Amino acid sequence: MSEATHTVKSYEEELQSLNKNIIKMGVSCEEALGKAIIAITTRDSENAETVIKNDEKIDKFETTIEQQVVNLIALRQPMAIDLRETVTALKISSDLERIGDLAKNISKRTLLLNENLPKNLVDALVRVSTNVQKQLKSVLDAYLDRSSSMATNVWENDEQIDELTNLCMQEVIKYLKEHESNLDDGTHLLFVTKNIERIGDHTTNIAEQIYYLVEGEYLEGDRPKGTEPIVTGEK
Amino acid sequence: MKKNGVNMIKISAKNVDVFYGKKQALFNINLEIEENQVTALIGPSGCGKSTFLRCLNRMNDVIDICKVQGEIVINDFNINDKGCDVVRLREKIGMVFQKPNPFPKTLYENISYGPTIHGMAQSKQEMDEIVETSLKKAALWEEVKDRLHEPGTGLSGGQQQRLCIARAISVQPEVILMDEPCSALDPIATAQIEELIDELKKEHTIIIVTHSMAQAARVSQNTGFFHLGELIEHGSTDKIFKNPENNKTQDYITGRFG
Ligand SMILES: Nc1ncnc2c1ncn2[C@@H]1O[C@H](COP(=O)(O)OP(=O)(O)OP(=O)(O)O)[C@@H](O)[C@H]1O
Ligand SMILES: [Mg+2]
Repeated sequence: MSEATHTVKSYEEELQSLNKNIIKMGVSCEEALGKAIIAITTRDSENAETVIKNDEKIDKFETTIEQQVVNLIALRQPMAIDLRETVTALKISSDLERIGDLAKNISKRTLLLNENLPKNLVDALVRVSTNVQKQLKSVLDAYLDRSSSMATNVWENDEQIDELTNLCMQEVIKYLKEHESNLDDGTHLLFVTKNIERIGDHTTNIAEQIYYLVEGEYLEGDRPKGTEPIVTGEK
Repeated sequence: MKKNGVNMIKISAKNVDVFYGKKQALFNINLEIEENQVTALIGPSGCGKSTFLRCLNRMNDVIDICKVQGEIVINDFNINDKGCDVVRLREKIGMVFQKPNPFPKTLYENISYGPTIHGMAQSKQEMDEIVETSLKKAALWEEVKDRLHEPGTGLSGGQQQRLCIARAISVQPEVILMDEPCSALDPIATAQIEELIDELKKEHTIIIVTHSMAQAARVSQNTGFFHLGELIEHGSTDKIFKNPENNKTQDYITGRFG
């Protein structure tokens, strides 16, 4: 935000409140992802249930933010940095909402798993999810600091996540082959892996938004791409 | 008109200083106005927008204590040169003011006044045509065609302002200067004027002073921001309102001015 404050105090407060809600929503998503990963890797259904329950809270943030944005546009007609604050808040909140949904979906699948996971599969999952969690944390820091360079770093790291996802997919496929009698678990694991990758993608979207917010221009160039995904699906 | 996709420059102000007596009102203004585009001039009250606008048709001449220095080049000709024919200049550079100011005469006479002075019509019929097309271009014809010989002062504020625009375009000016033309109008009349401005830019170059950021954003392609007599920033309206270069511009358009 600009150094100077608005002449109209209530306008200033509305923008501040929007900003705070994004951060709170982001922190809730961070928590949800953290708990979802603990839950799946340690077969901890309590954490999984918390994530599922708390998703409502994240959805509520999205609705609140959407209303705040509509009010700002209708009543304040924001310009320049304020316009970018308002529009990016809307887009970031919808990416965060998706992240919340994906964390919830991971947790639902966690509750449905029948067997303990083999160690190398757990390791592969932890590797990719640790990375995604780091990315999510960095992107929220970038938002807090209005730092386009931090946002660019996040954006560039997405490539690494794609690679780790592919390694994890290989483990899942191995698992599927070795546990032909347990197709259910294997399918859930495929989706879990894909969900983690998609959380990474939404994080990258947020990084792009932050870059635009700060610089007023879009990040140039194609998104960094890792190796092609082994299991095709939406990207 | 465009050349290689770039708009031609219609007016260029070079190192313009303006003084009212000893007090300097404009400081070294350098600004290029693109042809067939709408340029909005914005900035806090007293920053010199009207003063600058008046430089463009030498209206400052009529203020005794006002002194203008520097060049205003229109069509490759410096209008501050001694040889400039001011009457011809004002025919080419029309002006519309904040308060609609129709002459205390009939609608018809309001429009025919300029073309008469400039000898633009050879016959009554030609004059009728000028009056009709001017009113049509100003989107007023339908509303007033049956009362052309009633006084112009009998119209509503929005109609009066469109009458003044019709009067300004009747002499086919190349440039139209507008100083807060909508400040006395309701949103509907304002929208009609804005639509009109959009239409007029096909044939004219338009410079509009406005205090409404939203209006500047809506009607103009380029925007210049003045502050304390200086031109702080000038560029495409799109850029100014989404991502201005200068913090002062940003603070002003976002309502952060102390
Ligand atoms: N006729 C005049 N005599 C003396 N000073 C003048 C005259 N006209 C304008 N000024 C001064 O010149 C400066 C610029 O005035 P100007 O009218 O150009 O501002 P403006 O940007 O159009 O303001 P507003 O938005 O209020 O119309 C002001 O300080 C004003 O007091
Ligand atoms: Mg003025």
